Amino acid sequence: MPDQAFAGEQIVGPSTADDDVLRVEHIAKRFGPITALRDVNLHLRKGEVLGLLGDNGAGKSTLVKIICGFQKQDAGSMWLKGEPYVPKSVLDARAHGIDVVYQDLALIDQLSVYHNLFLRREAVFSPIPVLNNLRMRREARKALDEIGIHIPDIRAPVARLSGGQRQAIAVARAMTGDADILLLDEPLAAMGAREGALILDVISELKEQGNVSIIMILHNYVTVFQACDRVSLIQDGVIALDKPTSETSVEELTEIVVEEYRRARQAEHAANAAAVTAEHTADAKQGDGAEGGNGAQGSEGDAAGGAGAGPPRAE
Amino acid sequence: MGLVKRVLTLREGSIIVVTLVTFAYFAISTSNFATGGSFKALLPYFAPLAMIAAGEVFVMILGEIDLSVGAVYLFTPFIWHVLHHAGIPLYPSIILAVLVAMGIGAINGIFVAYVGIASFVATLGMLFLLDGLALVISHSTPIQVPGTSISGVTSFGQIFGGGTYSELFWAIGIVIILQIVLSFSRWGLYTVSVGSNRLAAAEAGVRTRMITIRNFVLCAGIAGFVGILEVVRVTSATPDPSGSNTILLQVVAAAIIGGTLMTGGDGTIVGAFIGALFLGILTEGLTIKGVSANYLDLYLGIAILIAMTLNTIVRRVRTGAGRA
Repeated sequence: MPDQAFAGEQIVGPSTADDDVLRVEHIAKRFGPITALRDVNLHLRKGEVLGLLGDNGAGKSTLVKIICGFQKQDAGSMWLKGEPYVPKSVLDARAHGIDVVYQDLALIDQLSVYHNLFLRREAVFSPIPVLNNLRMRREARKALDEIGIHIPDIRAPVARLSGGQRQAIAVARAMTGDADILLLDEPLAAMGAREGALILDVISELKEQGNVSIIMILHNYVTVFQACDRVSLIQDGVIALDKPTSETSVEELTEIVVEEYRRARQAEHAANAAAVTAEHTADAKQGDGAEGGNGAQGSEGDAAGGAGAGPPRAE
Repeated sequence: MGLVKRVLTLREGSIIVVTLVTFAYFAISTSNFATGGSFKALLPYFAPLAMIAAGEVFVMILGEIDLSVGAVYLFTPFIWHVLHHAGIPLYPSIILAVLVAMGIGAINGIFVAYVGIASFVATLGMLFLLDGLALVISHSTPIQVPGTSISGVTSFGQIFGGGTYSELFWAIGIVIILQIVLSFSRWGLYTVSVGSNRLAAAEAGVRTRMITIRNFVLCAGIAGFVGILEVVRVTSATPDPSGSNTILLQVVAAAIIGGTLMTGGDGTIVGAFIGALFLGILTEGLTIKGVSANYLDLYLGIAILIAMTLNTIVRRVRTGAGRA
């Protein structure tokens, strides 16, 4: 069912600009029976901040994980600065200048702040493979100061930090890696108002410098209009809207999402009604058959179960 | 106070205190415990444990466990014997035997990292397999160990387990090197990362499967090597699975008493060394006190529970954490 487009659904095709740093074309991804992405087209211009919106389960995080090399798409292709882009791993993507802040932050609780900042980029006394903790501490302190994140003790394990501080460390880790494309999966989740403002300031500063292009997954529509140049809305595994923030509004975005919800609800109703009818027909047929009362009773139970399992969302 | 506080804030702090108290108790309550003779007597007991526990800690920090270390320890000397009898010279045959042990570790690691079998189960299977294989290739009979002589300790034996302090030196060397690897190398950092949060480590780009396999290889390699040291020390090898499985349990006990978590993410090689020393002191002390052999395990069990309780309380005080 998810593979057939709903009537009246708008799928945004591949759009491009001359200064695209990243293009994503016809990306699809399934996890077993679940289709996370059906046909996603996305482009990111140099120095741009693109907001990626969508309901829970729309496939935003999956898309980010494909771009950053953590997962592989089933179909579709990606282009980085005009070249075909096939990341073999997270490290490979990083080598291509793409870094990411995951929704779960990917921090190691038991490790210190600075070890987390440098995880997979550790400084060693080469050629001896012994960690140069002193240098990492110095550089971590400098990087955090530059960004304006205050952590009293960078030797403390990350487990001791607050949610906002953890988020800030994860963002700092992505930003200290010399990436020119940053993917941020809900960078403002778990942040207090001040810490959230700090991250937004950092992002706008990066934008002013003009070298870094950013894709940000966001939940809060207001933030989108504060921080992003353009917005793409993922719905049911496709991009349903792609507009500069100056040409759209909170109302328009909300309308599209609510519309989709209503359509899904109607479809669910229809499907349930059809299922119940089908079960009744089956009951009737079985009741006529040689099996008699027992068989019919069993089926009735099934039908009730099916109907009960369906519509709890639609009350 | 300053020094006491600093010792207690160490991860190994609690076991250091517990071991010192135990040592003091036996030194005061018996006349001949704090002597060189009893120290020499406890060496063969604790040094092999300390070495195998060092490897086991690497696996336990991952949040896994290797139950096959005792079996690898039992099996490797027989493989060494077979290789040597096939005409391979002494030293190359030792290297080959340890490589076989490491291969066994790699198989454990592949089962855990790629097939996805719980390490408890995968290494339990390996335990029985190797115990059985040791019985099969030895025809259940003890063997004379290559490079040794019953009339005296050979120069080869002096280095590889036969010398009085040979195993102690090996143990100290292995513990120092592995503690450095754990605390000051990428390998150690990634080991802690995988054990603390496997998904996050993978997302950050750590090759979690490779680290898992590598640690199982290290653990089995050490267990096999210690097996060789031990048979050289006693000059013969007996295919006795029950003895080797006692070693396994003591190894795990030493690691846990030393401060390594069974849940992964945290551990210490030095702590496991001291944990093994604690078990050695306890066994030797109880023996010197003249505790009847029948009561030895009973007292050992009680002492381990008391030590672990103290250990846990001290750790809670140290980290300021309550109990959830």
